[in-house]
Amino acid sequence: MLAESVSNPGKSKWHAKLSLEFSHRRNRTVLSERAHKGPFCIQKPFYPADGVCHVYLIHPPGGMVAGDVLDLDVQIKDSANVLITTPSSAKFYRSNADDSMQKQTLRIGSNASLEWLPMDTILFGGSRARIDTEFHLDADAAFIGWEALSLGRPMSGDHYESGTLRQCTKIFVDSEVVLLERLDWSANDSVLQADWGLAGHTVWGMVYAYPADKSTVISIRENHVVQTNALTGATLLGRLMVARCMSNSAQSLRLALEASWKTLRQSVIEREPIPPRIWMT
Amino acid sequence: MTTNTSVYRLWQMISPNLPVGAYSYSQGLEQVTHTAKITDEATTMNWISGVLEHGLARTDIPVLLRVYHAMRNGDEEGALWWSQQLLAMRETAELRLEDLSMGAALLRLLPELGVPVTATELPFAAAFAIGAAAWNVDPTDACAGYAWSWSEQQVTAAIKLVPLGHTAGQRLLLALGEKIERAVTIASELGDEELGMSLPGLAIASAKHETQYTRLFRS
Repeated sequence: MLAESVSNPGKSKWHAKLSLEFSHRRNRTVLSERAHKGPFCIQKPFYPADGVCHVYLIHPPGGMVAGDVLDLDVQIKDSANVLITTPSSAKFYRSNADDSMQKQTLRIGSNASLEWLPMDTILFGGSRARIDTEFHLDADAAFIGWEALSLGRPMSGDHYESGTLRQCTKIFVDSEVVLLERLDWSANDSVLQADWGLAGHTVWGMVYAYPADKSTVISIRENHVVQTNALTGATLLGRLMVARCMSNSAQSLRLALEASWKTLRQSVIEREPIPPRIWMT
Repeated sequence: MTTNTSVYRLWQMISPNLPVGAYSYSQGLEQVTHTAKITDEATTMNWISGVLEHGLARTDIPVLLRVYHAMRNGDEEGALWWSQQLLAMRETAELRLEDLSMGAALLRLLPELGVPVTATELPFAAAFAIGAAAWNVDPTDACAGYAWSWSEQQVTAAIKLVPLGHTAGQRLLLALGEKIERAVTIASELGDEELGMSLPGLAIASAKHETQYTRLFRS
């Protein structure tokens, strides 16, 4: 573990890019285009019984060192149904100078659906992370997404005593921005300890669902697994449900996120919540 | 050129007498006093000054500035665009509703005071900027005035909720007065791509306030 936490100045910087396009053809979703540059790819998509195209994003280096750029572009065409997850946590390693940057843009067409369920992102002590994510939804699209951040690795003695994060997530519906959620801090900023900030919690998560209504919000507010595993506030912004969660354990947050997804999948995507196989391993 | 008249116009807009209903909202304060995170003068100060510097200075105030300049340049589309950005930065249904309701009240009032407006639904900071631009208020003064009036509303809410005495409230205002210049400086130095800031604890408190059982303040 220790070797991972120290960036190697001699290691070359990667600018990896992956573009994916999914289309609906003959009653199923196919990967209609794929282009990649550098170490960023997917496993062959597969189709469990739920009729959704499941995709695992793979980033072979396993983490981001100073100066790395990881760029993802996903286009889900009309009527296509896609679930994207990752096999392991994303990691931002210590950096002495440059930011490491992750940029993700996902577009969801009419009657199409996206479930965006990556493992958490671990910010190592001393990391300099920039994460920009945009979801562009057609008004008739369906979307469930989550994001999870872990600050340091408390089990390994890394308490995120230094480091910076600049994260921005934007959600658009029919080209109009409906959510602009930004976190921007240095590890010693008051935001990490203050009650209006993270209040000393070490993991942070967001859950999104569209289209949603009051009953969607209530289903999260009344979900016992969610509420016992993370301090959670759910709200409705137009037809977008947003839930924010904080906790002191990545495992607890994970339980809260998975429980949210199970509830939301039935109401928003109208499918049985059968977890992707890779989550069991 | 700033004239005395424009200063009085600003005072009018930042007065607690401005009939926009600001007194009926607590912006998450009620929930955090309910859960006992704010219990005295010191914790109240930490909460309000933190939200001022980390929240308001990166959301309302820089958007106010941009709407102000858009209106001065006759760019109504730009003013609407920035208003939408500010709305998207509001973390909860409650905070959005409150902002739009205060904004709508000011938009109804402005034409009665000789300021023509076309929009009917804007966040309060945008409506405030429209008034400030029409009345030739200095933009930095407008930002400071907005921050002051927000601080005063928060202190008034805290006096009822914590509760605090009126002398403690005055001490808080004195201390918050020291923080306003910095908030305005932060706001004026942000680039267009840097606007926005979510305050996790405030956002969760506000979401929980939406369902809080007993309360003094509206959602």
